[in-house]
Amino acid sequence: MEKGDRVWEVFIQKKSGLAFKHVGSIHAYDKKMAVQNARDLYTRRGEGREIWVVPAEAIVSTPLDQADAFYDPSEDKVYRHPTFYEIPKEVKNI
Amino acid sequence: MSITIKNELAQFLIRLADSEIILGQRLAEMCSKGPFLEEDIALSNLALDLFGRGEELLKIIADLEDNAYTPDDYTFRRNEREYFSYKIVEQPNNDFAWVIARQYFHDVYVREIFRQLLNHSDQQIAGLSEKVLKEIDYSYLHARDWMVRLGIGTEESNSRLQKAVDSLWKYSEELFAFDQIDTNVLDDSDQIKTVWDNEIDQVFSEANLEKPEEFKRHILDFRQGFHSEYLGMILADMQYLPRAYPDAQW
Repeated sequence: MEKGDRVWEVFIQKKSGLAFKHVGSIHAYDKKMAVQNARDLYTRRGEGREIWVVPAEAIVSTPLDQADAFYDPSEDKVYRHPTFYEIPKEVKNI
Repeated sequence: MSITIKNELAQFLIRLADSEIILGQRLAEMCSKGPFLEEDIALSNLALDLFGRGEELLKIIADLEDNAYTPDDYTFRRNEREYFSYKIVEQPNNDFAWVIARQYFHDVYVREIFRQLLNHSDQQIAGLSEKVLKEIDYSYLHARDWMVRLGIGTEESNSRLQKAVDSLWKYSEELFAFDQIDTNVLDDSDQIKTVWDNEIDQVFSEANLEKPEEFKRHILDFRQGFHSEYLGMILADMQYLPRAYPDAQW
């Protein structure tokens, strides 16, 4: 992997089995430094048990200028929500 | 006030306690002056670990001395000649290479000491050693990593690190001039030098550093309270407030 100062996104898992949560970003020159810097910045108060760092440029996001095309069509499609099913009384958590 | 320590085990422990506190103070000076934000916070974290470690040791010392003094008394009311910190940890933050080399030498040395204290018959000391070794292992990894990064980084970073190593090296000699107080507590004081030599050879070769020449320098020993010119200044800075305002609360 090429080296140089760049931004990494940091994800922390609080407990075994839970999803990793994005907590912020750091600067680092390589993977090793990225993990150490993430540890030093984001786990000072027992926030987690495992860290993922990902080069920020590796993250692909949806284009902001096309947000309407991406998300608006889902707003009026109530039938996409499973609200038309009769839920049996016995089922509590849904 | 002149504070003397009578218990032999306490006399041993205060060498460690003082060294941790003085190195903590040196690293705390780096707060807001780190080379970049992430490293700045890393160094401040290490400084806080060192203060915490020093305080825990001083609590044990206070117990051994029948609570004649508190940990704060030991820290803030002793003069230069009553301090027993290694000279190497007093050395200034001339540049980042100095900070790293000093930390690395310290970590290699005290790590082996705390490893030997794991077997100590005093449960408090053994328990504390187990706890602090986790901190030291991380600090060591961090320092070792930077030794190699700076060593093989650029011509400039290598020459700065080599300069720091050359300047600090003379203060490594006294670390191994163990006296009776040391050898009574440590399992195997020779082992500390063996571990040091192996470790330094390995990392210096990885980091493309030259090992400075060994020769007898006759520098007066920290075990007798002798220091370099820097400790007095550190204490002046560190002790001014509690000495000027003994009743200050925060």
